[in-house]
Amino acid sequence: MIRNLRELYQYRALLWALTLRELKARYRASVLGFLWTFLNPTLNMVVYVVVFGVINRTSIERYPFFLFCGLLPWIFFSTSVLGGTTSVSDRRDLLTKVRFPAQVLPATVVLTNLLNFLLSLPLLFLLGAAYGDWPTWHLVYLPLVLVLQVFFTLAVTYFLSALNVAFRDLQHVVANLVQMLFFLTPVLWTLDTIGDVERFGVTLTAAQARDVMTFGNPMAGIMNAWRDIFFLHRVPAWQPLAEVALLSLVLLWLASGVFERRREEFAELV
Amino acid sequence: MPQTVPVPNAIVLENVVKTFKKTSRRKEFTTLKSELVRLLTFQKERHEPAHTIPALTGVDLVIPRGKTVAIVGRNGSGKSTLLKLITGIYSATSGKLEVNGRISALLELGAGFHPDFTGRENILINGIILGMSRAELKDRIEAIIEFAELGDFIDEPVRTYSSGMFMRLAFAVATHVDPDILIIDEILSVGDEHFQRKSQEKMNEFRRSGRTIVLVTHSLSTVESWCDAAVWIDGGKVRMYGEPRDIIAEYRRAIAAAEAEATKTGHSALSMPGLALPGTNQVDTPDVSGVKLTAVRLRSGEGEPPEVFAPSGPLQVMLDWAAPRPIDVEVTVDVLGGDGRLVFSASHAAGELSGTGTLQLRLARLGLGEGTWEVVAAVKAKGLPPGPPVRVGLKVGPDGTAAGLLRPELTWVRSDE
Repeated sequence: MIRNLRELYQYRALLWALTLRELKARYRASVLGFLWTFLNPTLNMVVYVVVFGVINRTSIERYPFFLFCGLLPWIFFSTSVLGGTTSVSDRRDLLTKVRFPAQVLPATVVLTNLLNFLLSLPLLFLLGAAYGDWPTWHLVYLPLVLVLQVFFTLAVTYFLSALNVAFRDLQHVVANLVQMLFFLTPVLWTLDTIGDVERFGVTLTAAQARDVMTFGNPMAGIMNAWRDIFFLHRVPAWQPLAEVALLSLVLLWLASGVFERRREEFAELV
Repeated sequence: MPQTVPVPNAIVLENVVKTFKKTSRRKEFTTLKSELVRLLTFQKERHEPAHTIPALTGVDLVIPRGKTVAIVGRNGSGKSTLLKLITGIYSATSGKLEVNGRISALLELGAGFHPDFTGRENILINGIILGMSRAELKDRIEAIIEFAELGDFIDEPVRTYSSGMFMRLAFAVATHVDPDILIIDEILSVGDEHFQRKSQEKMNEFRRSGRTIVLVTHSLSTVESWCDAAVWIDGGKVRMYGEPRDIIAEYRRAIAAAEAEATKTGHSALSMPGLALPGTNQVDTPDVSGVKLTAVRLRSGEGEPPEVFAPSGPLQVMLDWAAPRPIDVEVTVDVLGGDGRLVFSASHAAGELSGTGTLQLRLARLGLGEGTWEVVAAVKAKGLPPGPPVRVGLKVGPDGTAAGLLRPELTWVRSDE
């Protein structure tokens, strides 16, 4: 894992060049250009606000702002994973012609979406300001949560991109899995809405059910932390974050191991 | 201990083997599940011979620093696999591979070019992909743009380029990487006549500055005029390594032998991709050919031969021969251009020769333009295979009033009204 990350650092110029290219290419030849960075998540939010705020009235206050707090980091995660899965298998042109560490490719996708996420943050603050909600000192936790999410995302992306070279079926499955995870993660809803569970012979109190949802899904912990920072203005609970940190490290170690092992075959299989 | 003496060899391969897995197997599938289990348990992969394709079957090769080495061989013989191994894109199945120095590979021009980006933007990205640092790029970008000769198109999207412009830009970036070892795969013929000459010049610059070049090419004249050594890869092995001239002669002979076999039997190694070519008989011993050229000398009239011949001066080709026993001999003298094209060929039935002696071919007027030509002389005894040709370089100097390949006898006539 250390070697993997060190190589990434050695090739930072390549990583950066590819990322900039990705960012520039994304909106090239479109009339609104870079504005789409803001428009995309906004339109996405509007859809959910219409469905859950207007049609199916939710009890959550300032719902658009609430939604945006979770939606932005979620878009960062999901676009990274979706784009990252095919990041290696789609680049035959580079892999078979030039020598460079292949992890640059999935890392480029994550970095591109990370920059997109950071660039769209002002929009979040703007929306908050519209509700009279200004950022508080809790923003100091932002870097921590961000690093955790980057590590987790990177690990998942490494794993999927390495496997997708040999098993292209994966890219079709991933889209569905990500969508499922989206509904399992409190982006549109909050964990408070979970009540007692009594189903399939399993009985859980509301608190237990919430724990299952939080600790069973690393993205839930991250999502709650984002909401604590932006929306509820409180210090994020440390237990779920500690779990995510541990899990991310283990996962990144595993994923870079898998990636390393498969890397030699990339040029032959893509 | 710090090493102060530079390593003499740029590339060293020891018994390098590369096998590819067959990806389409019948009746047997690697499933995601089985592969996942294998991965997670960190099991070694099984290599079953039935499921693998051998590309290289044990290559030993040493490429000294500062040499230009060509790799020849027929399609599927493993040339490109070898290049990709040296470059590090593939990893060897077994064997040892050592590369000393910064390596740059021109396996394909324009790797990573984005059609929507301008030439300038693509230079920046492609340069970094090829291993240049940001600072190096900053220094060289003007040189690259100038070399590519794109004019105002440099700030237009690459998708608007003609294919020649695209290649020129790609070639310009690739050759400005400034590596210790340059790996080239069949890309020397880029652009029009003018640009080709320019890229040749760029390559020559590389050679002069002591860089190592390894190139795969099917242009045997390039190999001959250009390389210090040649490697013939056949059937995944090094079949021959040595002087370009010898390798090419032997390679041509093997192909001719395979073609002859094909006309006789209807099938041959040529129809099977990657299969080794048949062996050739050694025919260059005097016992077999009956007559041998011991030397070929060029003269221009009386006295010592000049270093550079005059386009309109005389030329004598002196052929020293040796025939152990009396034999009927036919002589051929070919003159080839720098690109290997035949300029003219003169044959002569010399009659019966015995012992040693000299035959002379006289040209009253050379008639060739400025440049480096090659005289290839061969003798052949009646009813026996020809002996090995002897090659001599012929340098022709400039002529003040005329230019081009030929220098015919010219007379200007002026008739005023």
